Amino acid sequence: MAPIVEAVDLKKTYMLGKIPVEALRGVNLKVESGDFLAILGPSGSGKSTMLNLIGALDKPTSGTLLIDGVDVSTLSDNQLSDLRRRVGFVFQFFNLIPRFTARDNVELSLSIGGIGKSERKKRAERLLETVGLKDRVNHKPAELSGGQQQRVAIARALANNPRFLLMDEPTGNIDSRTAREIMRLVKRLNTENGVTIIMVTHDQHLAREAKRMVYMFDGIITSDITNGEGT
Amino acid sequence: MRSRDVFSYSFGAIKLRKLRAGLTTLGVVIGIAAIVALLSITQGLQNTITNQLETGLATDTLIVSSGRSLFSQDGTGIGSGFGDGDSDFKLFINDTESINALSPDIEISVARIQRAIYIQTSERGFLINVIGVDFSEYAKIYSSTFTAESGAINFNPENSEAVIGKTLHDPWENGTLLFSVDDEVEIIWTNSTVRPPKNETYTGTVKAVLKEIGGFSFGGPSDTGVYIPISQAQSFFDTDECSQIVVKLTNSDQATIDSVSELITDAFNGEVSVISSTAVLSIIGSVFSIIQLFLVGIAAISLLVAGIGIMNIMIVSLIERTREIGILKALGMKSLTVLMIFLGESVIIGLIGAVLGAGLGWVLANVVAVVLSGGGLFSEIGGGQAASVGAASMDIVPVLTPTVLLGALGFGIGISVIFALYPAWRASKLKPVEALRYE
Repeated sequence: MAPIVEAVDLKKTYMLGKIPVEALRGVNLKVESGDFLAILGPSGSGKSTMLNLIGALDKPTSGTLLIDGVDVSTLSDNQLSDLRRRVGFVFQFFNLIPRFTARDNVELSLSIGGIGKSERKKRAERLLETVGLKDRVNHKPAELSGGQQQRVAIARALANNPRFLLMDEPTGNIDSRTAREIMRLVKRLNTENGVTIIMVTHDQHLAREAKRMVYMFDGIITSDITNGEGT
Repeated sequence: MRSRDVFSYSFGAIKLRKLRAGLTTLGVVIGIAAIVALLSITQGLQNTITNQLETGLATDTLIVSSGRSLFSQDGTGIGSGFGDGDSDFKLFINDTESINALSPDIEISVARIQRAIYIQTSERGFLINVIGVDFSEYAKIYSSTFTAESGAINFNPENSEAVIGKTLHDPWENGTLLFSVDDEVEIIWTNSTVRPPKNETYTGTVKAVLKEIGGFSFGGPSDTGVYIPISQAQSFFDTDECSQIVVKLTNSDQATIDSVSELITDAFNGEVSVISSTAVLSIIGSVFSIIQLFLVGIAAISLLVAGIGIMNIMIVSLIERTREIGILKALGMKSLTVLMIFLGESVIIGLIGAVLGAGLGWVLANVVAVVLSGGGLFSEIGGGQAASVGAASMDIVPVLTPTVLLGALGFGIGISVIFALYPAWRASKLKPVEALRYE
């Protein structure tokens, strides 16, 4: 089976003012369906850049990035939007729409996917139930705790049945106890529902929950370890 | 994303900032209200004036007067108006004979001697129009308006007879009558051709009161006229000149009107002006178009200001919602959809503003109309020692045609959309990564 994500000599250079910054300096990575990948590394190592590229939020400077077998650099603006709908993104700062309730936030993702109103409502409620927020559907983000907000964000990311879930420091902004709960949820999604997960974190303990740990430093992958096969 | 969802997303964003959206909408309301009010009131005024003219002017008649005219067909420009003129050329009463001989399309022509005259009653004096005409021929042209309401017009008048317009009979419309049948009207005319100038007095017995005509009069019977036999006018005013010659045509085709007008103008070497009712109406129409264009132009400026207001808040909104746009794009929303969401907000503001504005404008137009007509700008007569007997009262009914209404709505929405295009385009072009990083 073809890998879901395949990066070959992937490079990304930003311009910080007039100074070019090489965020990725030749990354090679394959992610298979059903994988649970943790990307580790200090800040500035390029892990968030990597995630943005995989999430089709940005385009690589050079190299190839195949998502579902499609070369991202050949896609138009509209095609990138379509691709993003097949990717579930979970951010460190949740990025929920403050004026929307939990259900409306999940529904928004579905409505961008062009799904009708009654179907949306049903699916949003089922997704919130999956992440354990059945009794919080009508709460706005301000009325929810950090962990609850992140659960809403996960429900939203799962809404359009994505090929994989991208998580950027999903527990970076919540307390450690809640973080463990979130990790249990993520792990369950991976093992029980078969959702492929790529997660950026700098927390070694959380990363051990993943099937695979990828270390990045200074824009390249320094090691790629499959958990259970030894350290 | 479905268009209904796009719309409800836009609407939700507006609801979040009610005061701001309300103030922006107010700008559109004022602009559209100004346009609708000005257009419907001027249209109403034009209709009123046109109606009054149509009552006074039969379509199959031409009015010939001396002097090159403001209304001349060749458009040579500003002349002397009609009736009198700077020209030395004078029309004479017997010019009717030469006019009659010009074309088979001419049925009859009648000379009028017209003077603005002071008349005296036991209580007060009035300035009115005294018109000398041949009663029987005049009645042939204006058969519907030169008819008696009380008394009877004597078509073979003897000396010292008079027919008066309705306003002179009952000027206050409250039962107090000024002149009635068999009363004597005393007309005082200052003859300034003799030295020293001498006041001449003509006393006429009222034989008939015309039924109410309404409107202005160009050659036709008027509510404010005193009609005396032309022979009497000739000797009283000591003149063979006439003020106008009214020409009745056999038909009211534009071709006939044009050709006869030209024949008459040529016959007098261009020294006369020939006015047809259609020409007067078309000139009034074009004058009103210019006035409307001017007024709407002014109103449009206020709408332009409203448009800039829309642009302003859309840009503020765009900056405030940069992160939100980033989220939408990260969730897979297309740039075009982001554009539509922002345009949707301005369309909603424009639509609400335009609808409220049209309603407000219509109310304003009606208030102005009531003030203009009910206040009786023209309806009072008398009052002063020698007040002028004015034209009939002006009842202005504001007119709002569907074209104007739809045009105003479209304009309001259009302005809103045009000024929202730039902020919406900027929103749609935001890069998701940068927008998400925005604090």
